[in-house]
Amino acid sequence: MSCSLVLALDRAEGALLRVLGTIERRGWDVLAVNAASDAQAYTVNLTLGGSRDPEILCRQLQRLVDVQEVRLVGEG
Amino acid sequence: MDGGRDHRNTSAAAAAAPARAGAVRSGAQHLLDALEAEGVDTIFGYPGGAIMPVYDALVDSSLKHILVRHEQGAALAADGYARASGRVGVCLATSGPGATNLLTGLANAYLDSVPLLAITGQVPTSLMGTDAFQEVDVFGMSLPVVKHSYIVRRAEDVHAIVREAIAIATSGRPGPVLIDLPKDVANARAVARPVRQIVTRLPAAAEARLAEAHALLARAKKPLLYVGGGVGIAGAERELREFARLTGIPAVATLKGLGACDPDDAHYLGMLGMHGNPAANFAVQECDLLLVVGARFDDRATGRLASFAPEARVIHLDADAAELGKLRACDVGLVGDLREMLPRLVHPVAIRPWQRRCRVLRQQHAWRYDAPGEGIYAPALLKQLSEAGGNRLIVASDVGQHQMWVAQHWRVPYTAAHLSSGGLGTMGFGLPAAIGAQLARPGATVVCVSGDGSIMMNIQELATLKRYNIPVKIVLLDNSSLGMVRQWQELFFERRYSEVDLSDNPDFAELARAFGIPSFAIERRDQVDGAVQRLLREPGPLLCHVRIDARENVWPLVPPGKSNGEMMGCAA
Repeated sequence: MSCSLVLALDRAEGALLRVLGTIERRGWDVLAVNAASDAQAYTVNLTLGGSRDPEILCRQLQRLVDVQEVRLVGEG
Repeated sequence: MDGGRDHRNTSAAAAAAPARAGAVRSGAQHLLDALEAEGVDTIFGYPGGAIMPVYDALVDSSLKHILVRHEQGAALAADGYARASGRVGVCLATSGPGATNLLTGLANAYLDSVPLLAITGQVPTSLMGTDAFQEVDVFGMSLPVVKHSYIVRRAEDVHAIVREAIAIATSGRPGPVLIDLPKDVANARAVARPVRQIVTRLPAAAEARLAEAHALLARAKKPLLYVGGGVGIAGAERELREFARLTGIPAVATLKGLGACDPDDAHYLGMLGMHGNPAANFAVQECDLLLVVGARFDDRATGRLASFAPEARVIHLDADAAELGKLRACDVGLVGDLREMLPRLVHPVAIRPWQRRCRVLRQQHAWRYDAPGEGIYAPALLKQLSEAGGNRLIVASDVGQHQMWVAQHWRVPYTAAHLSSGGLGTMGFGLPAAIGAQLARPGATVVCVSGDGSIMMNIQELATLKRYNIPVKIVLLDNSSLGMVRQWQELFFERRYSEVDLSDNPDFAELARAFGIPSFAIERRDQVDGAVQRLLREPGPLLCHVRIDARENVWPLVPPGKSNGEMMGCAA
């Protein structure tokens, strides 16, 4: 099973590491990642593979301090 | 009931306490100013090269610094301080090995949701990334075990970052926060930038969800409260007990939930799980509605998850939305402040037959203390000591068989009276946690219950007890082995004992005396009364070395992979 997420993050030190680390530690494979940034924020598009509930992962990401927004945009 | 824990909103306290506005100060001074402004009074630490500017500033500070003898002791003492007080615990270490020695303490705090602030010195920014002396990337190493972390790059940011870090550590679901402070930033002088206001309010539970929960309650014939550490963290013991009193719904608790329920409540069945009371485990298996309050379906509590509470619908209340549905789907999930949600959840129930059934379970499976022989039966000693000491006791347990005996047999009157490393199971937790708890709660009698394996993990902190004359009472249950591992090798590895023999232990009473700590040893049952009296009456630190039978096991036991209804050492 795969899913696609779009995240908005503070452009803070470690923000990307924190997000990618959380995703892998929670049992997901990062199949594709695309990130862009401006002075204030990162926008990250992710395609993930895994068998767990993506809604739970979204909530685990949402509680990270640097994460402004998490959107689940596709499941397959 | 809450034992003096301070559940104040630290961000509100922060807003009320102005920084030294406009003053040019060093980064190190801003750090200490911010801690003082947050109401921090005690920090635990160990100096070294990269953190020296902070130690220099400490000379002029009002903060009380406790010099431990290993940085892990600092982190675990700060953890014990936080658990006993409900306030943030603060620890301080240098870069490199000082920082890596904190990591176990950070992981311990992370898994048990303890508000901890760890401050590490770092090599100067110009040397970061060059493999400099005592340089490690502690920011990167700690990412999986912190709620949040910072590397401070500018002296003007130090004050605001410390205030923000404490707000994060103490709000919502608490946890550890790391601040890595490079030496040049600590030395640089600047005016502090303003503190950003941190909003820490939890959401209010939706009315529609509460109505669904009420409907489930109204239909339930066998509802059961499954109470976790989140109740104590939220300061919701009063609300939980009122809910239990008004509804009469029976309750079980996790290791970290001990003390949330009134231990004398006729409907309270004790701890559930791997070494839980059989009454609690059987009630879970029979219930038709599980009200999960601040608990997280930990594997030690649930046994085989697929057969945990197989007949039950689930209402799950938690401060952390990410816990809902993580391991067990819930029929109704309520996210928010338990103090606010529990009164709104009260609803009439008609459960007399179920209450009778739970009372029968409680009577059938009451703990027995009539062990044969003349040797000391550790569960009986722990029960006697906790009942003799009453509500003034705080127990800090280490990890192993003795930890489970404490959980089973110690009378815990409120959650902050029982400190135990639940999630990480950190051997060596007990002594430094007891030190932290005693400093946070000087009026309490703090007892550290340890084992001969665990005590040696942080034995050096006896020197801290002596240095500050901290009156912790240590009850050292010595079975000359790594008892819990030995028990598992006996039961699940065909008695092929591997590296569990500790019969060459030092003489612990002599060892304590070498540190300047008074001590005595007992080994017969008729010595227990005198030992209990001495532990409760003698001022100052004291170690009681208790020799127990190495063959004693913790019962009951749910074998790995089995349902909680399949306990060894228990008749159904």
